Amino acid sequence: MSQLVKPASGRSSGKGIGAFLAGNSVPIMFILICAVCIPISGFSVPYLLNEIMSRLGRNAFLILSLLIPIMAGMGLNFGMTLGAMAGEIALIFVSDWQIWGIPGMVLAMIVSIPFSVLLGLFCGKILNMAKGREMITSYIISFFINGVYQLVVLYMMGPIIPIAHSSIKLPRGYGIRNTVSLLNMRQSLDNAVSFRIGGVKIPVITLLIIAAMCLLIVWFRRTKLGQDMRAVGQDLQVAKDAGIDVERTRIISIVISTVLAGIGMIIYLQNMGNLSTYSSHSQVGMFCIAALLVGGASVDRASIGNVFLGVILFHTMFIVAPNAGTKITGDSMIGEYFRVFVSYGVITVALIMYETKKRRARASMGRQLEAEQQEAMRA
Amino acid sequence: MKNKKQWIARILTVAVLLGIAAVMFVIGRGHTVYFDNKTAEYNGTQYSAFQRVNVTVNGERMAKLSKRDRGMATWIGQDFKMELEVTENKGDDPKIIPVSIKLPYGMDGIVVNLPELVAGLPQEVWQSEFVPVATVEEPEEEVIPEDDMLGDF
Repeated sequence: MSQLVKPASGRSSGKGIGAFLAGNSVPIMFILICAVCIPISGFSVPYLLNEIMSRLGRNAFLILSLLIPIMAGMGLNFGMTLGAMAGEIALIFVSDWQIWGIPGMVLAMIVSIPFSVLLGLFCGKILNMAKGREMITSYIISFFINGVYQLVVLYMMGPIIPIAHSSIKLPRGYGIRNTVSLLNMRQSLDNAVSFRIGGVKIPVITLLIIAAMCLLIVWFRRTKLGQDMRAVGQDLQVAKDAGIDVERTRIISIVISTVLAGIGMIIYLQNMGNLSTYSSHSQVGMFCIAALLVGGASVDRASIGNVFLGVILFHTMFIVAPNAGTKITGDSMIGEYFRVFVSYGVITVALIMYETKKRRARASMGRQLEAEQQEAMRA
Repeated sequence: MKNKKQWIARILTVAVLLGIAAVMFVIGRGHTVYFDNKTAEYNGTQYSAFQRVNVTVNGERMAKLSKRDRGMATWIGQDFKMELEVTENKGDDPKIIPVSIKLPYGMDGIVVNLPELVAGLPQEVWQSEFVPVATVEEPEEEVIPEDDMLGDF
């Protein structure tokens, strides 16, 4: 856990408690919020642990998909929504083909890959044209592709793309219903191998998949491509001078992220048991990014530890906030608004902190350069 | 040479994924099996409904059928197995009959007439496709995607 609370920037070492607190201000704030809200909410410990475990299994893979673009210096990939849409399209097909259970999930994952790769390539190419503005660009791309997704799902599925089942199709004969039931797939992964410890359900297979993903990320960082990505993330120009194909490396990072987001979305939706065709993906990027930031990550640095700490803190707040809000103010909506406010707020604060840090670094470099020039002149 | 190796690896990866997808397509096909305990007639012979039938699938009792009852179970794959506990007439001792059926891939819902099945008639006699009754549905309201409020994530 000590690694988890290590500041993302790693600046605190040797600078005392002040620097440590400054480096970990977001997770510390959330720990305090949770510490206050948990007793007020009145939830029992087993219930809370059960909920957190369920949400950990549901969300961790999605959040892990954000790590690689951060490594490549492309910031928080709001474009992961594209992968989520690819996952949803795959799930619609698999539901229509009536493939159930774990085979249905595996098939959906495989079907989602080509869609994710295409969308990732598209996103990566555009982000290469907007270097330095990746986050806002990927955010807007996700809105743009959302429009295309709706066009495909609402008008093309049925007449152009064959969809047979009336339980999926809208009664008018084309387009997909607002909700697609994934009942035959619901928690198939979570329940495949599971046991209970003190009333807390441990979804073994889901956790193993997440652990495998973590190991894959650790391994990937050590590969040639992973090293290239880190070099690109540190300095584009230096990486280019070192002979790294910067543009290709950046595109690959986005493609990997999109593919993982597609798979993560399928894991997420199998846990939920139904797919809100037009809205499941809309906030997924925002939530995952918020959770990652809550875990102590920043725009330019994130670790696996940040993912897990983020999921635990962010979702503990999600679970307890409505009840705590009801107990404090008598209105559960206050808790709901609070978590909405915190989700967006934490992203805003992270972006401001990142910009401030960048400006300070630039200013300090300028001052250093000035001092060096003056020294040279004096000499 | 390196390029050639890379292409071979890529093609192999795609082939493996396609292979897994094909396997999943077959083993993951879901069916709903309906069991009818209804009197039926075939070639002039009448096969009477049983007094009581208990249907157990995967160790779980799925249906407890009296005469003219229908039960159902869901099944993944084509090799459907169930255990019938049949009481033919009132006062009889129940007989346990293990049953294996090869489900047709193309059918979502399959109706099995139990008296005909237990009598050992050909599959096309006791098996029929379940066709849901077409109902006139009110068209759903136009879908308006929402993206502002946060749902339960």
